Amino acid sequence: MKELFSLACRQLGRKKLRVFLIVLGIAIGVAAVIGVTSLGEGIRVQAVDQIKASHDLTTIEVSAGVEDGSVTLITDSKLKAIEREEHVLFVAPYVKDSYVAQNNTYLAVKGITSEYRRVQSNLQLEIGDWFDEGKKSNEIVLGYDVAKRLAVVEDLGLGDEFTVKIRLYGEESRLKDKPAVFKIAGILKSAGDEHDNQVFIDIKHAKELDEKDSYDGLFVKVDDPAFAASVRDKIEGLGLTAHSAQDVIDEVNKLMVAITLVLGFFSGISLVVGALMVVNTMIISVYERTKEIGLSKALGASDFDIMKMFLAECVIIGVIGGILGDLLGIGFSVLIDLVGKPFLVSALGGELGAGLQLGSITVVTPGILAAGFAISVVLSIVSGLYPARRAARLNPLDALRQI
Amino acid sequence: MTVETRDLTKYYWMGKEKVVALDSVNLKMEEGAFISVVGPSGSGKSTLLNVIGCLDAPTKGEVYLAGWKVDYRNKKSLVRLRRKFVGFVFQTFNLIPALNAVENVEYPMYFNKEGRSKSERRESAMKLLDMVGLEKRANHLPSELSGGELQRIAIARALANDPKLILADEPTGNLDSRTGKSILNLLTRLNNEEGKNIIMVTHDLESAKKMSKIIRILDGRILE
Ligand SMILES: Nc1ncnc2c1ncn2[C@@H]1O[C@H](COP(=O)(O)OP(=O)(O)OP(=O)(O)O)[C@@H](O)[C@H]1O
Ligand SMILES: [Mg+2]
Repeated sequence: MKELFSLACRQLGRKKLRVFLIVLGIAIGVAAVIGVTSLGEGIRVQAVDQIKASHDLTTIEVSAGVEDGSVTLITDSKLKAIEREEHVLFVAPYVKDSYVAQNNTYLAVKGITSEYRRVQSNLQLEIGDWFDEGKKSNEIVLGYDVAKRLAVVEDLGLGDEFTVKIRLYGEESRLKDKPAVFKIAGILKSAGDEHDNQVFIDIKHAKELDEKDSYDGLFVKVDDPAFAASVRDKIEGLGLTAHSAQDVIDEVNKLMVAITLVLGFFSGISLVVGALMVVNTMIISVYERTKEIGLSKALGASDFDIMKMFLAECVIIGVIGGILGDLLGIGFSVLIDLVGKPFLVSALGGELGAGLQLGSITVVTPGILAAGFAISVVLSIVSGLYPARRAARLNPLDALRQI
Repeated sequence: MTVETRDLTKYYWMGKEKVVALDSVNLKMEEGAFISVVGPSGSGKSTLLNVIGCLDAPTKGEVYLAGWKVDYRNKKSLVRLRRKFVGFVFQTFNLIPALNAVENVEYPMYFNKEGRSKSERRESAMKLLDMVGLEKRANHLPSELSGGELQRIAIARALANDPKLILADEPTGNLDSRTGKSILNLLTRLNNEEGKNIIMVTHDLESAKKMSKIIRILDGRILE
């Protein structure tokens, strides 16, 4: 084997310029694929990093499961089952409802536990206090926008008590409005999301007022993002619906991989040119060495021996092309980063652009380099098959008779 | 090794015209014999050598090498016979330009390793070079050597797999008469000392007469 390749090296060494040109041809093709793929990979990594920065990957959002028209509610027993799962730190259930204040202001109410506040760490008090948990009190905490609205429309502030109507759907769908009195115990700072429009009360109290014994949703906190997927699967196994930021990441990954493959495929067309160069060069080489092939057969070479000799040359061309292609590809991806990044940053603008500014928009992974190398070697061998077969099938006498 | 041909016939078709290259050739060669084949151009000398050397198939008739009938339809067995039993020497030397002298001698061993390691093969190649008096030229490329030297290397190469039969097609055809003589001496030595069977095509009847049995051929037929 070693001898086969050292012989092939000697043969290639006799036509260095020609070999250099094909190798360069293949390498440029490989580099183009690597450059484009590294751009796709770089953007994918950036997108995933941005998602990770703005989402908590250890939190799973659970809601009632709907399948084939039947609904699986989040009951206490399901909640207990989830709490018992491995890697689950804690579970933060909540119930939702909407109450109506005196002057017909609708209040979106959420009954929560202190765990809920641990998950939603952006719920910070502006003034006042949180209600005591578990104790049956009528204290509530207002979101930033609700507080403003109640101040204007209902003229209510911290410490004020007011009556709301709770609409319940009783038997035979008869509506029943139940009054309840709340006291404003605290007001939140602006959270910048839907919480600004919500009113928070203790979950036990809310369940009682609503006459509900299931939850509208819950957050599950796991100890490590690595276990989020398995825990999520278990929750789905209970018949519930579960989401996590990982879903978004998975979607982004899927999309970017697909885009990268398509781009890589089309940039790979330049490889066809390289392959044709190999075919052409090897056919010329077979012509030039026709006499040598005939001689080798006269000296005892089998068809397969001849074929191996030519394919070994192709392997060497492929290996050199792969290495050079990888190096050029790295250079190419650096170039894309240098030239392309300022352009992308200004085109995207805002937060997205600022995010890109930090990292590199191209990422060359060992996998990409290995693939580039493999493409080069496989392509060279495949391109060499026809010329090598042609050489192997030459009639030794006809071959020897050549000038 | 004995060589025998029975009724050996070879036609070539040039369009519709039949060219008779060999016409019922019956030849018997004893162990350790040296035969020179002479005849005018186009009489079938090369064809005879190529058929015996398993490079070409006859139209009719048989060849027996060491008593075994050659099966010309079996490509693999032809390759095996060429590897083991036959060493070719050509008029135009035909060394591989990419390889130096000793590598050229080694080249046929590569196709017929027989468990010999690379260093063992190199060693026997050096011995063969030594035998033809060219051990000093071992690392020279063919382009750096004279015609006589090239042919001696080619003879060393023909001996690489220790074949019993050497087929030399006008080995002195491209050499001046003095260099040609030294090549003939070398072949005679191989015949006498190593017991190689040699069939040589030549136009130098005078020299051939002194060292070998002469076979004359005309229009594909052996003249008695
Ligand atoms: N491939 C071929 N196709 C057609 N005819 C051929 C072929 N090879 C040889 N011949 C013919 O067969 C005959 C014998 O050829 P061969 O080469 O054996 O002659 P030769 O005795 O070796 O001649 P020379 O002394 O010139 O080498 C010639 O008439 C030649 O034209
Ligand atoms: Mg001839």
